Formats: sequence, structure tokens, C-alpha cells
Amino acid sequence: MLLMLDLNDPRPLHEQVSAAIKRAITTGDVAPGDRLPPARDLAAALGVNANTVLRSLRELRDEGLLEFRRGRGVSVLRRPDGRAALRERVRDLLDEAAQYGVGPEDVLGIVKELMKESP
Amino acid sequence: MTHPHRTSDTGVRARFLLATAAWTVLVAAVLVAVPLAFAGRLPDPVASHWGPSGQPDRSMPPAALTLFALVWAVVAGTSLVGLARTRGEIRRATRVWFAAGLGWTGAFLIGVQAVTVAANLGRDDWSRAASPSWEIVVVVGVAFAVGALGRLAGRLGPDDAPPERERPGPLIDLDTRKRPVWVSTATAPWAVGLGVVAFAAALSFAAAALWGLAPAGWSTALPLALAAVIGLAVSSVSVRIAPEGLTMAFGPLRWPSRTVRLDRIERAWVEWRSPVQVGGWGVRGLPGRATVMIRGGDCLVVRYTSGGQLAVSVDDAETGAALLNALAARRTA
Repeated sequence: MLLMLDLNDPRPLHEQVSAAIKRAITTGDVAPGDRLPPARDLAAALGVNANTVLRSLRELRDEGLLEFRRGRGVSVLRRPDGRAALRERVRDLLDEAAQYGVGPEDVLGIVKELMKESP
Repeated sequence: MTHPHRTSDTGVRARFLLATAAWTVLVAAVLVAVPLAFAGRLPDPVASHWGPSGQPDRSMPPAALTLFALVWAVVAGTSLVGLARTRGEIRRATRVWFAAGLGWTGAFLIGVQAVTVAANLGRDDWSRAASPSWEIVVVVGVAFAVGALGRLAGRLGPDDAPPERERPGPLIDLDTRKRPVWVSTATAPWAVGLGVVAFAAALSFAAAALWGLAPAGWSTALPLALAAVIGLAVSSVSVRIAPEGLTMAFGPLRWPSRTVRLDRIERAWVEWRSPVQVGGWGVRGLPGRATVMIRGGDCLVVRYTSGGQLAVSVDDAETGAALLNALAARRTA
């Protein structure tokens, strides 16, 4: 399972881990039915505490994306819906915009410009 | 992709299958013919087993000598059918191990049968059969020699061009603001079961020894405990790739573990390997050519900048190889 952890993300660590796992599910790196690696393996790879990863996994379970099964570990239940997936990508976009010194308002302006171009 | 070696590969495959089939038939014919040829000069029953003193202590009807042929037919037949059912080229590594194994087994069965027949030849009763001694050494030595010849025969012909998927996969787009990590595992459930059973048995023997029920229990408990530790250690591997390098952690405790720093890695790819090719399960081969074999199938293979190789059987190895190649490319860029 390939995860990309955002180094500049100001959110709490467990939310960052959730976002990384969600991104992997959204991009199709892990498909519904696939099992996730054990939480402690993920924790060791990400360099975070195993409890942090468990917290993220529970959050994603509560969102209905993951399924916990006794003896079979954690597996993907379904992909996030369009809005949730877009939310993560817009967040990435805003992060990237910030790198260029472009604020969220300006990004919104760009979006509105594009809306006018393609009605 | 074009296959410049396609015709010659098919030729090698056909020739190899033909040669092993011929060897199978030849050995079977010898194993049937020898007891028949000497049937008139053998006692009934014949001595079949010799005790530590060298005296025969078990017998069987002479017809049972042809069971050697049956054993051979089953062993060689199933392996040959298994090989014939594979598609495409037969890799050189497979040919080498296959030819060595069939050569050794065939020669060993012929030798054991010949020694048994020779010991019984011309005796009027099985209990007066000769006691083989040095003949055993010769049989084992000849078997290994034939196995080595088989190994050489298997090396004949070209090694096939690596399949397309062994080439480095597509590069993963790396974002400098993100830390990429890849985590995957490989598990052998049977090794877990074996380790747990061995552990339980070791515990029982140790308990029996502790309570004085079986004073010799310790000598059984210790090897069993060792088997349990080794069995559990090779039952699973967790592989992770991060910008620091590649880390493998073994067993349910994820200990021991080993890390290869990224600057030691030149490139990575995926290869299909089986326990038969690498000589069993666990860490196989010498450093520089080692394979961490948990289960047969796709392995992540990395090439060191120093020239050596390391392979580890792990699920989703393609993504791992792609990430390693991307990280290596970023390092050299």
C-alpha cells in the first residue's frame, strides 16, 4: 500500500494519516475488498505511534470506508463518494496554492474565472 | 514486445521435456528390469532392511522390488506433468533444479535397488543375505554425481530474456512536499501453524520434564522450541519502503528486522520465484544473492550499487519496485 504523507499539513497527525489512507483508496491504490497492512506496520512506516494509526482507521471505519473483521484485519469497504474525494483534492490544491503564495480567496477567484470560460 | 529468442526458447523447452521424459522412462525400465532379470537367483522372501549390526532384520516378497519403479513413476511422473503444464519458457534456474533433482532421485533409487538385489543374489534364505557397507557410500556418491550431471545438463541452452514485467515499472510521481511510504506483507499461514504446534509441543515436553514425568523431555523440548522460533520467524515478513530505504521485519513480532539504506540501492524490479528455485523457505542464498522466501510468487528484487542482489517475496511488489526506482531516480537527479 502506497501512502503519501503531507509534510506541511498543519492538521493533527491522526487526520493526516486518515487523509493519506483515504487518498490511497480514492486513487485506487487499494480497492474495495483489499486488506490494509497491519496498523503497527503502517505506524512503523509512517513514523507515528500505532495508536495514532488505529485512531485514523477507526475514523475511516466510522465514515464507512473501512471494515474491521476479527482475525482478518482491516479491509476496504468502499471508495469515498465524489464529494469526500474532491474535498481531499481541493485541500491538496489549496496547499499547493499556498506554496505559490496564492490564498484560498484567490483560488476561488480562479475557479470562478474558469466557470465563466466554460459555462 | 518482440521475442527474438522465441523459437530457440520453444526448442529448449521441447528438448528439455523430451530429455527428462526419456530419463524417466529409462530409470523406470531399469527399476523394472533388474528384479525381473535376477528373479530366478533371489530367495523368497528377500531381505529388505538391515539393522545397525549389519544383519538383515526385515524381509519382503521379491515382487516388492518393483515398488521402486512405482515410487519413481509417481515422483518423476508428477513433476514432469507439473512442468509440462506450465506455459511459456522454462527458465534456466528451473531446468537446473529439475534436472539435478530427477538425476539424483533416479540414480539413488537404481542404486538402492541394485544394492538390495546384489545382497540377496544367490542366497537360499533372506536371513543369510550379505550386509552392504561401502556400497551405500558408493550409491550416495553416484547419486550426487548424477545429480551434478543433471545440473550441468539443465544449464545447457540460453537463459530466457526476462519477462516484460521484470523491467522497472512506471515511475511514481514524487512530490517533494510529501513523504511517500509503501507497506506490504507476505504471510505463510502454514508456517504460523507449524510454529504454534512446535511451540505447544516444546512447552508440553518442558512441563513434563519439569514435573519429572519425562526426564529426557528437555532434549526434545529444546529442538522443538528452536523449530518454533524459526518457523514463526519465516512465517511472515513486513516490507516497508520510505525515503530512508527498504526495511524488512520478520515474524509476528516484527523482529529481527533489516534495513537497506536507499543510497545502497541501484534499482528494483519484480521477479517470480519459487521455493524450489531458491532452495527452500527462509533466508536463502549467500549475501549478495539472497532471497527472503516466505511464499512462492512475486518477489521484490533490488540491485545494490555494489553489484549484489536481494529478493524478498512480498505482495504488491510492483508498486514497491516503482517507488524504489522513483526514490533512486530522485537521489541521482
